[in-house]
Amino acid sequence: MTSEELPGEELFLDRFPDEAQVVRASLWSAFVALGIGALAGIVQALHRVGYVRFIDSADYYTVLTLHGVLLVISFTIFFLVGLFTWAVTRSLDRPVENIRFTWAWYLTMVAGTVLAGVAILGGFVDSIPISADVLFTFYAPLQAHPLFYAGLAVFIIGTWLAGFDWFRSWWIWRSENDGRIPLQTFMVLTSMLMWYIATIGVAISVVFFLLPWSLGIIDQVNPLLTRTLFWYFGHPVVYFWLMPAYLLWYTVLPSISGGRLFSDPLARVVFVLFLILSTPVGIHHQYLDPGIAEGFKFIAMTNTMFLLLPSLLTAFTVVASMEHGARQRGGEGYLSWLGALPWRDPAFTGMALAGLMFAAGGFSGMVNAGMNINYLIHNTLWVPGHFHLTVGTAVALTFMAATYWLLPQLTRRRLYSRTIGLFQVVMWFVGMVLMSNAMHRAGLVGIPRRTAEPQYDGFAFDAGLSSVAELDAQVAIGGTLLFVSVVLFLGNLIISLLEDPMEGTVDRSLPPALSGPEDSPEVLDNLSLWVAIALLLVLLAYSLPIGAIVADGGLFGPGTESYPVVLSWLEVVT
Amino acid sequence: MNVHTYEKIWLVASLFLIVGFIATVVYGAAGAGIAMVDASGGTVDSTSLSENERFGEPGVERVGDGEYEVTVVARQFMYQPDPIRVPADSRVTFYVTSADVIHGFQVVGTNVNTMVIPGQVAKITVDFDEPAEYGIICNEYCGQGHHDMEGKLVVVPEDEYGGDDA
Amino acid sequence: MATDRELKEIGHDEFDPVGTLTLITVYFLILVGMWVLTYFVEFLGNGPTVVG
Ligand code: HEM
Ligand SMILES: [Cu+2]
Ligand SMILES: [Cu+2]
Repeated sequence: MTSEELPGEELFLDRFPDEAQVVRASLWSAFVALGIGALAGIVQALHRVGYVRFIDSADYYTVLTLHGVLLVISFTIFFLVGLFTWAVTRSLDRPVENIRFTWAWYLTMVAGTVLAGVAILGGFVDSIPISADVLFTFYAPLQAHPLFYAGLAVFIIGTWLAGFDWFRSWWIWRSENDGRIPLQTFMVLTSMLMWYIATIGVAISVVFFLLPWSLGIIDQVNPLLTRTLFWYFGHPVVYFWLMPAYLLWYTVLPSISGGRLFSDPLARVVFVLFLILSTPVGIHHQYLDPGIAEGFKFIAMTNTMFLLLPSLLTAFTVVASMEHGARQRGGEGYLSWLGALPWRDPAFTGMALAGLMFAAGGFSGMVNAGMNINYLIHNTLWVPGHFHLTVGTAVALTFMAATYWLLPQLTRRRLYSRTIGLFQVVMWFVGMVLMSNAMHRAGLVGIPRRTAEPQYDGFAFDAGLSSVAELDAQVAIGGTLLFVSVVLFLGNLIISLLEDPMEGTVDRSLPPALSGPEDSPEVLDNLSLWVAIALLLVLLAYSLPIGAIVADGGLFGPGTESYPVVLSWLEVVT
Repeated sequence: MNVHTYEKIWLVASLFLIVGFIATVVYGAAGAGIAMVDASGGTVDSTSLSENERFGEPGVERVGDGEYEVTVVARQFMYQPDPIRVPADSRVTFYVTSADVIHGFQVVGTNVNTMVIPGQVAKITVDFDEPAEYGIICNEYCGQGHHDMEGKLVVVPEDEYGGDDA
Repeated sequence: MATDRELKEIGHDEFDPVGTLTLITVYFLILVGMWVLTYFVEFLGNGPTVVG
């Protein structure tokens, strides 16, 4: 009936073999990053609490940089480009225009990752004068090797090209078809428009300031300016991680639950709201920065609070779609219908638990958003506690669960063991409950994040009714469970691929929404209008603060030096 | 558009939440008197702090009845002065800047917490009513010795306070 | 696979997501309670605080 339906008889990889190959390559790149990132994760968890310290505490920050960059840049975005390629291809039901171009952006992204990765790994070897122990936020005047910034720039260019690829498919589809943009394509396009607007900030920061500065072409930068440009990008990027998870929750989860999406129009509204509101909020990461007036912080907070709206709406629509499935499967009552959901299916259970964790992460995010309460939790362990629920679970666990669902149509292989799959997603959930709960509570008593040894000489943290030792134990046990969960996930996948291909087909068609696109106002599909509004809001939110920062401190700063991370350490030891 | 009644209820409830959050924060600012660190500290050349009128000499200074100013320089990987001593029942304004990279300045177990950005002066005012001993930590990664960066803030009983710097 | 489990087809108008309403009401109450606790007890009870 609508273009959302792909004939169920044909697997994606049979219908679009070339595209399936790119999708597989992207997903594998994501999983390699996930594996290495998880290894770094357990090292950190055990090191911080002092249980196992086999690396030097100075190297902790190299590990942490690796963890941050690989997980929130490589893992998330490689999965995203794979998923978006799948979604655009299947929902428009047409191949990409030029598969060589598609491979070109994929390889560009790989090249960027390798460049940045080499720069980071160089930090482990003292004899190599390359390092990038600057964490994934790379605040100047800490300085990384130019390779790091160059790698980042190349990676982002790759994503821009990928976006162009999807837009081009849609432009051509539009010239041949009438009607609404198919929902999945709509989600991809709005996400990419947000991404183009967001990456302007980091592109300016890297290309005009950090890269020339690391090459010695300019000798100083304005740390507040580059930091502000980073966060201009840094908040929308969190929605960029989230959008593919939302795409899966809206378009795949209802079908796995045995139901249909509750409302297509509301899904469109939500994505439009993200496009408009994701960027003019970045200053909420700078509530405690000197040099930015309180009024600007307040504006950022107001925008941020309204940005809760699309996520709150999503909670309703997604849960209602699952409920629809449960009722069709015979579920009854106010809450007992929950028992009628397919809890034995790892794809379902993983996504549902991810959504549940997101509800909890939503709460700590509301606290993060509340301007003055930021004094309580800023830069404490509360913050990693928060984002391990959001990107670290809502996104990561949804991606793993979706992989179980995508596997047959991308590889013609059955999942080796559904039981291990189920065990794995539940294990992630339990591990994250422990680790994230402990991190939140540790943050409330002031234990800092990004610290190799948060044990101090002059004082001790007062954990109130519980104890720091108890919190440490939870972080360690939780972190270990998470790591084992990733190992099981990757192992299960690899063994599946070694099995013989399946015969026949699997039904992976996605049923249309209960309230379809015909119920939604045409204006929702007017992408130029939304981009114009988004840009206007960005101008309103940012022109005055950035103007003030430059007026007060100058484009290149009121006087700062450079601190290449390797050299500064040498100065300390000698 | 076809929006279900329950969905409308939820929309209204969500807006209520959002407005409620904003209202709470406004209450914190206007009612409880919490101020955000802002641009009022001005800027400074971090490469020549020793020649700077204020930051050339980090320390505690009495500026009025029960009013003190504390000038703090954060650098890899320490604070100057350390420890900071102020009397109880006083109003203390901290001027904090960095001599090198970005640091944090967090008085553990309190809501006193700010970023320390080279080139910028973080100016925050705090009332200390009771004698107490606090740890100060750097909560922003600032280099390989970051985890060793700590200081101390001692709020001494008024009658024991000598008034000396540091 | 999809057909054998689908006992019935429920359309948009017959579907009343009362379970969702229940869950989301519980969530709403948790949010309000936790917010009050975190802001007024954890935060405002954690003085001294920046006042200027
Ligand atoms: C094996 C599972 C994982 C473990 C054990 C783990 C553990 C940790 C720990 C202990 C920290 C805090 C380090 C500190 O602040 O000193 C951390 C930071 C972080 N984690 Fe994870 N994590 C895991 C998975 C993930 C995933 C899946 C993501 C995102 C997709 C993620 C993203 C991050 C980020 C962005 C940081 C902050 C890095 C920074 O402060 O620069 N982690 N992780
Ligand atoms: Cu943010
Ligand atoms: Cu530090």
